[in-house]
Amino acid sequence: MKEINDLNLPDDVKYTKDHEWAKLSEDIVTIGINDYAQDQLGEIVFVELPEVGDTFSEGDEFGSVESVKAVSEMYIPISGEIVEINESLEDAPELVNESCYDDGWIIKVKPDDVSELDNLMNKAAYLDMLKG
Amino acid sequence: MPERLNKPKRSAVFMDLGLLEYSRALDLQIQTLQSKIDQTITEDRIFFVEHPSVFTLGKRGGEENLVVSRDFLTAKSVDIVQTDRGGNITYHGPGQAVMYPIVDLEKNKIGVKDFVHGLEEIMKLTAMEFNIDADRNKRNHGVWVGNSKIGSVGISIKRGISFHGLAMNINPDLEPFSWINPCGLTNVSMTSIEKEIKSSADTDDLSDDDLTMEQIKNAFIRHFSSVFNYSIIRNNDHSKKTKNKQAVVA
Repeated sequence: MKEINDLNLPDDVKYTKDHEWAKLSEDIVTIGINDYAQDQLGEIVFVELPEVGDTFSEGDEFGSVESVKAVSEMYIPISGEIVEINESLEDAPELVNESCYDDGWIIKVKPDDVSELDNLMNKAAYLDMLKG
Repeated sequence: MPERLNKPKRSAVFMDLGLLEYSRALDLQIQTLQSKIDQTITEDRIFFVEHPSVFTLGKRGGEENLVVSRDFLTAKSVDIVQTDRGGNITYHGPGQAVMYPIVDLEKNKIGVKDFVHGLEEIMKLTAMEFNIDADRNKRNHGVWVGNSKIGSVGISIKRGISFHGLAMNINPDLEPFSWINPCGLTNVSMTSIEKEIKSSADTDDLSDDDLTMEQIKNAFIRHFSSVFNYSIIRNNDHSKKTKNKQAVVA
């Protein structure tokens, strides 16, 4: 596994305790898993996605990733409706490993209450959690 | 050793369930997982079990890799159970050692990739105790002796806690594996510790004392402890004779 100092953790996204990232842009929140998660999961071979129109409450399981014979659930960090899923992951799940903040994004959510994002961590707080 | 002082051992309770139906063992895993999520159980638990004959499917299925009909399995009284673990179709039966670690990977900072690697390592080290040279294979995860598979891994992770686990062939009837493409792979032969011992000694003569489930259980406990840095508390729950008796063994 990567050393903490080697992790790619951009400053312009928020982080969850479940090692996901979320980024708000024009009232839509894009969500994926972060570099720590993709690294410790290993080679991702399948991403189970929700459907557009599904609604979730903060903390609900919204999908899973399968890597190295392991199925890991993913949890949504904000309540809302799925407005887009990354369909390219169906044929190319490895994008999550190769480009977890860009081409490997997972879902886009129209949030019920955007202030829920305030509960997430910035990079410094997330790093403290990893080191803790 | 100062390093050891800074890194206290993780701990887990090890329970031998004996021979138990797959679905009952799965219920027990899920109850334990839920209790750990609810924090009514704080310690990690490891279940050791043999199952009566059963085929299980991974989360993404695998029934397409069944090469006999469902009617054939019904006639043989073998069920197929859908599960939510990683991996494809596999077979469990008596003579196969199965271990389900319900371990808080998040709390213990064990990465998923490292955990799967460690489970494979436990099987590799166990095979080595019988002078069997087992290793990983680029074809697939699990543990192999040459081109034959001897052990498999398939896990799930919920709220950072693992369930499902590993299965290693000790002395099972290997024929049911020929009814599937194990793990979704074609042209894979399966082997067992018994088969490898017999082929290296060039004999069919293996006494019951030479290979017992108790030996395998003890090897799994020892190697789980060393690979993942755990102290393991044995709790022989399934045995009335030793009920409530606990002993630290590693």
